This record gives sequence, C-alpha cells and structure tokens, in this order.
Amino acid sequence: MAAEEHRGAVDAAAAPPALPRRLGLFGLLAVVLALVLAAVAVVQVRQFALLKHTVVYQDDYVVLGIYQVEAEYQRLREQWTRASLQPGGFDRDALQLRYDIWVSRVGLLHNERTARLMVGNADYAEPLRKMDAFIARADAALGHPDPKPVDAATLAALQPELDALGAPIHSMSLSASHHVSAQIAERNAAVRQHNQVGLLLTGFLSLLVLAFGLMALRQMRLLRERQRTLVDLTAHLREARQQAEAASDAKSVFLANMSHEIRTPFHGLLGMLSLLRDTGLNARQKDYLRTATESADHLLTILNDVLDMSLLESGRLTLSEEPLDLRDLLREVEALMRPQAQLKSLALHIDADPGVPEKVRADRTRVKQILFNLLNNAVKFSDRGVVVLDLHRATADDGSPVLEFVVTDTGIGMDEATLARLFRRFSQGDESRSRRHGGTGLGLEISRSLARLMGGDVTAKSVPGEGSSFTFRIPLNVVAPAPRPQQAAGSVAAGDGTDGLGLPAGPGPLRVLVAEDHPVNRQYMAALLEGMGHQPHFAGNGLEAVQAIREQRFDIVLMDLHMPVLDGVGATLSIRALPDSAAATVPIIALTADAFAQTRERCLMAGMNDFLAKPVSPERLSAMLRRLFGGAPTEPEPATGTAEPAAADATAALLDHATLDAALRAMPRERLAYLLRSFFEQGPDMVERLRVALRDGQALDLRVNAHAARGAALNFGLSALAQTAQALHEGATHVPAHEIARLIARYEQLLERSREACEAEGLLEALTE
Amino acid sequence: MPRHLPPPPAAEPGRRAFARRLVGLLALPWCAAWALDKPSGPVVLTVSGKLRAPNAGAVAQFDMAMLEQLPQRSFSTRTPWYSQARKFTGPLLRDVLSACGAEGRTLRAVALNDYRVDLPFEDTQRYDVLLARLLDDQPMAVRDKGPLFIIYPFDTDPALRSPIFYGRSAWQLKSIEVL
Repeated sequence: MAAEEHRGAVDAAAAPPALPRRLGLFGLLAVVLALVLAAVAVVQVRQFALLKHTVVYQDDYVVLGIYQVEAEYQRLREQWTRASLQPGGFDRDALQLRYDIWVSRVGLLHNERTARLMVGNADYAEPLRKMDAFIARADAALGHPDPKPVDAATLAALQPELDALGAPIHSMSLSASHHVSAQIAERNAAVRQHNQVGLLLTGFLSLLVLAFGLMALRQMRLLRERQRTLVDLTAHLREARQQAEAASDAKSVFLANMSHEIRTPFHGLLGMLSLLRDTGLNARQKDYLRTATESADHLLTILNDVLDMSLLESGRLTLSEEPLDLRDLLREVEALMRPQAQLKSLALHIDADPGVPEKVRADRTRVKQILFNLLNNAVKFSDRGVVVLDLHRATADDGSPVLEFVVTDTGIGMDEATLARLFRRFSQGDESRSRRHGGTGLGLEISRSLARLMGGDVTAKSVPGEGSSFTFRIPLNVVAPAPRPQQAAGSVAAGDGTDGLGLPAGPGPLRVLVAEDHPVNRQYMAALLEGMGHQPHFAGNGLEAVQAIREQRFDIVLMDLHMPVLDGVGATLSIRALPDSAAATVPIIALTADAFAQTRERCLMAGMNDFLAKPVSPERLSAMLRRLFGGAPTEPEPATGTAEPAAADATAALLDHATLDAALRAMPRERLAYLLRSFFEQGPDMVERLRVALRDGQALDLRVNAHAARGAALNFGLSALAQTAQALHEGATHVPAHEIARLIARYEQLLERSREACEAEGLLEALTE
Repeated sequence: MPRHLPPPPAAEPGRRAFARRLVGLLALPWCAAWALDKPSGPVVLTVSGKLRAPNAGAVAQFDMAMLEQLPQRSFSTRTPWYSQARKFTGPLLRDVLSACGAEGRTLRAVALNDYRVDLPFEDTQRYDVLLARLLDDQPMAVRDKGPLFIIYPFDTDPALRSPIFYGRSAWQLKSIEVL
C-alpha cells in the first residue's frame, strides 16, 4: 500500500502536465534574452560610431583653430597699427612673423576636414573669402619667398581693409562656436539617449537573469524533491520485496516440510497397496487396485517434484559433487529407460563420444534426474522412431569446456509458442498434450533450475511434427583417471579383481537368493556369484522369493525391484512380516538401475538393508558382501589391460588377451565359450541388419547396431572386430555409402577370422551347458 | 646587471631609464671634447632647463645648420593638418636633446604664437619623434607651420592617432624647456 502511494507521488513528479508550458516559458525567455542582447550590441555599435565620428572630425579642434585665427588676427592688427604709426623704424621682422603666423592659421581653415565640418555655412565661407582676398593683396608687400621692403604708407593703405576683417572673423568665430555647440548638444543628446536605452536594456537583462536564476532554483528544488521521493520509494520497494521474499521462502519451506511429511505415510500406503495385490483379489478388484497404484505412483512423482521445486526455491537444495563415472551413469540410465522405450516400440540409443573423459565431478543423482526427465519426456511424446541420448564435449560461449547431453526424439515436436513457455512452471506443451500424457509440468523447470545450480543450463529446439532436441550442459570438471582403467560399456562386465582365485580373502561361501525375473540377468548374476565362490539360488518373482525364504535359510537376498507378480518392495515387506524371525531378518539388498534417493528411501522404508545399482559390477557386489559379512578390503590390482583397443592401430590383433583373461577370471571357461559362440552365431544377423540399414539409408539404425556390435566385441576382447564396428559407428552419418559397405564387408570378414582365432585358442571348445 | 652600480634615480624607474643613465655616464667624458657648438646663423630653437651641455649660458641654442648636422631621418605620415600623407624630414628629437645633454621628465614645447604643450620625456625614447625641418624636402615657412614641427610617426602605431598626440605635435616650434 505504501508502495502504491509512492508510485502516485513519482508519477506526479516524473510526468508533470506543466512540462510543455515550462518549455514554452523557457523558449520565450530565451528569445527575449537574445533580442535584448542584440539591442545592447546595436546600441554599443552606434556609440562606437559616434565616438569615431568625433575623433575623425575633431570639431573642437576646428573651433580652437578658428579662435586662434581671431586671436592671431588681433595680434597682427595691433602690430600692424603700431607699425603704420611708426613710419621710420617699425619692426619689420616682428610684423612679418605675426603676419606669417596669422596666414598659417588661415591656411588651416582651408583644411579639408574643417571645410567638411562648416560646409554650407555662409558665416564661414564669406569671411574666409575676404581673408583670402586680403592675404592676396598683402602678400604683394609681405609675401614669400622674397619679402620686399615695406613702408608705413603701404601698411596704412591696407589698414582699413585689415580692420574691415574684424567683424566677419568675429562672427565666423561665433558661428563656429554655435555650430559646434549645437553639434555637441546633439551628440550629448544621442549619448544620453543611448545611455538611457542601455540602462533600460541592462535593467531588462538583470530581470531576465533573475528570472532564469529563479527557474533554475525551482528546477533544483523539484529535482531534489524527486530524488527524495525516489529514495523513499526505493526503500519501500526494497522492504516490500524483502517481505515478499520472506513470505515466499516461508511458503517454500512449508511446502518442503509438507511434501516430506506427506511422503512418509504415503510410502506406507504404497507398501500396503502392493501387499493387497496378493490377497486373492478377483479380476475387478485387481483392476481397481492397479488404478489405485498408478494414481499413487503419479502422486508420488508429483510430491517429489514439489519437494524439489520448493527446495530449489528456498535455496536449500545443495548439490553433492563427487567423482562420477559417465559411462557407468549412461548404462544406468539406459537400463531404466529401455523398458519404457520398448513398451512404446521406440528405439533407444545412448552413446558417449570417445572424447568424453572417464570421470567428472558432478552430482550423480541430480544429473541422472535431469537425464531421466528429458528422456521420459522424449519417450512420452514420441509414438514412433528413435530417442537418442548423445554425450559429448563442447565449448561454452565463454570458451570453457562443458559436457553436453543431447536428447533427441522423433516425436510430435513443438511450435515456437510452446517452446517459449516450456520451462515455465505448470506449463505443459499444450492442453491436449497434457491430457494425453499427464505430468506435473514441473519437470522441465526443475531440470533447468538444477542445471543452472550446477552452472549449466537446459535448452530446447524443436520442429513441430519432426521432433525435439533438448540440450543439457554442465561445466566439465574432469577427475584425473584412476590408475586402473575402468571397463567400457557392455552388458557383460568383465571386471577385474572379483575372480575367486585372484580375489583377496572375502566372506566364505554364502547362500545367495537372487530374485530376478530376467533370464539373462539371472545368468549374469550366477556367473558373478559362482566366480566369487558363492552358491546362487534364483527366484523368478517376488512371490517365489518369499516362498524360497520360507523354505530355506539364505545368508542374503539380492532383490530386483521390478518383478512380475510381486515386486521387490512388496516381497521385502512380506519377508519382514514373516513369523520366523531368522527368515524375517535376512539381509535384503535391492537391485535396481534407479539410483534416485527416493528409490533408495523407498527400499529402506520397506525394510531392505542396502542398495546395489544395476548393472551390478563385480567390485561393488564384492564390496557389498564384504561390508555385510566381513573380509579383507579389496586391494587395487595392477592394470591387466585396457578394454579400449587403440583406434589408430589399423593392424590391431584379432584378439586382446588381456581382456579375455579378465573375462576368464570373472566366469568359468565354458560359460565364456557359450557366450562367444552365441555372439558368433548372431554375427550374420548383425551383418544383415547393418546391410539393411545401409540399403534403407537409416543412418541412426546403422549407428545403433554398430554400437551394439562394438560393445559386445570389446567385452570379448575381439579388438579388430571392435575397431571396425567403431569405425562404422563413427562414420554412419557422414561416410559415403560405398565406404560403409566396405566396412560392413570387412566386419563380416573379421567376424569369421575372429571366430577362427578363438577356435584356434580353444576358446569355443567347451561343451554346451 | 652589476649590482655595485648606483641604482637609477627613483624618478626614472625601469631598465630603459637605467640604460639611459648609463649612456649619459659614458657620454660625460666626451661632453668637453664634443661640446655643443655655438650657433652661427639665426637661432631657430632654444632648449632650456635641465641641460648638461648648454652652449649659451644655461641654455642651448640651435641654428638650422646645427640641426642639419645631426643624423637625419624622414618618414611619410598622414596628419590632421594635411589632407594627404606628407613627407617630414629632420633630426630625431631625442638626438637633439642628447646633443645638449637634456635630462628630465617633461618637455615643454613652446610655439611662435606662444602655443604651449607638455610632452613626457619618455615619448622621445619610445617613439621616433621627429623634429621636422623639411616638408616634402622643402624648408617650412612660418606660414607653412615652420620652421620646426614636432611630428610623431602616427602611421606606425594606432595608439598615436589620438588628440593627445596630435596636441603634442607642436608646430612653429620656438623652444623646448626640459623639466
């Protein structure tokens, strides 16, 4: 409310309606000022001209000149009279001097300037003419350059004429005096007038300056007031923002607490639902139960999203960065996503560029969460085609290295408008989509927030009808590779150091119940456990597992979470509820590809002891058993070889014995022989698939198949084959078709030669199981 | 500038005054040898007042020949008294003054008609003030404002073209009193 008031105040100050008027006033003042200054300039120019006129014409000097003519005339007349009265000895030189001086004075009156001043004045012209006439006559006696002797009589004769000049000279003097007086008066009047105008203008100027000053003062005061208002407003806004933030934080904290609180009883509800399924329900009840379970699962997802969101908002979500094996992570993601993709008949292809380092520092759980979200969306919005997760190194805009996960699908795609609101809260692609596909609408926002928290980002590109591409990038923090290289991709983990012979003293032979529905996985686990010297028993689903526990004593149960009939959580709850306390307390380890904290939580809440991520590596299984049953810790073994053949080695050996030895340590010889034989038997099928893909121009299919072939070949140490498959995989999209064909032919050829090599080594000789 | 020399008179501040005094000191020995001659023709100029080398009692008298013997200068300049620029010739006033060892602050010029005007002594040092005796190479009669005419070089400096300097230009010059 306070902010509202202030906004009003600011509006009033910021956009006063009087602005144009004030501008007009300023303009008027400026024009007046310019006019006044121009007038001042005009007055000064005129004053200057007046003074210049005075200097040039020197009226005063003219008047002085005329006075002196009169004065000299008087002196000459006196001298003349005296001389004419002294006929014998008058001073000829003195008279001559007086006469010359007077003549020189009269000569000045002929001066151009004097003439100009007195032009048209009869009182001036007439006496001058008379004087000139007298001088002409007198020069006969006193003229230059050769003065003749002069007698008193001559002087006496000229005396009357000289005397007659007195009156005109005097009147000329008076007239000049009057004339100049008039001129001076006129000039004085002009000067006075100029002074008055100047004073007036100065006064006006002062007023204008005063007005400008007042306006400037007013402006400054306004400015200060506005500034003060702004400062107040800023303070209020800050306060309001703090209040709003505090309220928002409180809400987030409340939400986080609530969703956590809700989850706890909810897990109990989920467990009960899974128990309910085994209580002899009829088909209708089972249908209801399935719907209830689906709703509950959906609700759990929403709760998890809300919890994440509120944690992110309140800034309480912290990342736990640790060394993360990227290829391991991708395997995990693939294991979980593949069933979903298969359910919709979508091809799922997950691939890491060879340039991607083994290990990076990152928050495993959160990276996985983002990848799951992106892949889930891709699967959800695709009805056909492929979903590809591609991991490679890239360079950020600022030049720093980043890891880039690109999830591409061939789904329904999005238009610009949908893309624009994609990352906004509760926004889904569009109404029809959300109705069709469900979801909280928080997923992408959470993903992006998490990515940004990691210093990265999630961005999207899409073409409607063709598919979408989501790019998730995080800064690349490479962890120096461990001294012992990790195994590369492959469904058969040919680990090192889990061989019963080579293994450090582990726990004695254990009776292990493996609840696992997938036959291949069962086979794999059997190989692993037997390799360690344990006795594996198998159950095909949760119910069988509970049954087996009832009947026999087991040291440990490895429980797959996803099983038909009764899943791992349900089975665990049942086992823990058994009356036989020995059976009910058997250690149960969850096996799952889902590495989410909530999954782990779910498992622990159901009563499981620990958690083993799939695919189960020999090291991790061994470590887990040692943790539960004791035994020496695993010593890192010296490197026995690298799974990755040198790509540049064109003449790579057909077989990599180091890898084969490692595989032999992990499993019995006949099992490896069986697996190898299967591989070679399926070889022609693979070649056929590659050829079909080439023929149909399906580069992606080509890539997928070549990748699969490479993974298998690597695991069995078939280096040359693996290398060719890798060349196919890498060149699938850009190498010319004839080159691809040549590679496929080479693959086929190598397949046969590798088989022969294995046969020669006796690797295929074991009898069938 | 050597500090042991006596300071210039307070009345004549500045380097120029000092330099003049120095010249005067150097000239002293010559004053006896080059004492101002007596005029042989009619006296046309009488310099009185503070003189170190008078030639007639306390005053110095010049006839036209003596003025002719001093270094002659000539220039053309416009004046208020003639409608066109005229050529004036004669010795520099400062040469005339130094010939009779005049030293003072003011020169009082007196004309034949008793016109009187005061010139600062400094004018003769600052400007090439001419004691003109020829107008367009002809001697000037009294009726032509002769025989001697003090002329400032009006055309060389705008500051000179003012009533003050026009007033200082005395014509029909008879005598100079050094004050």
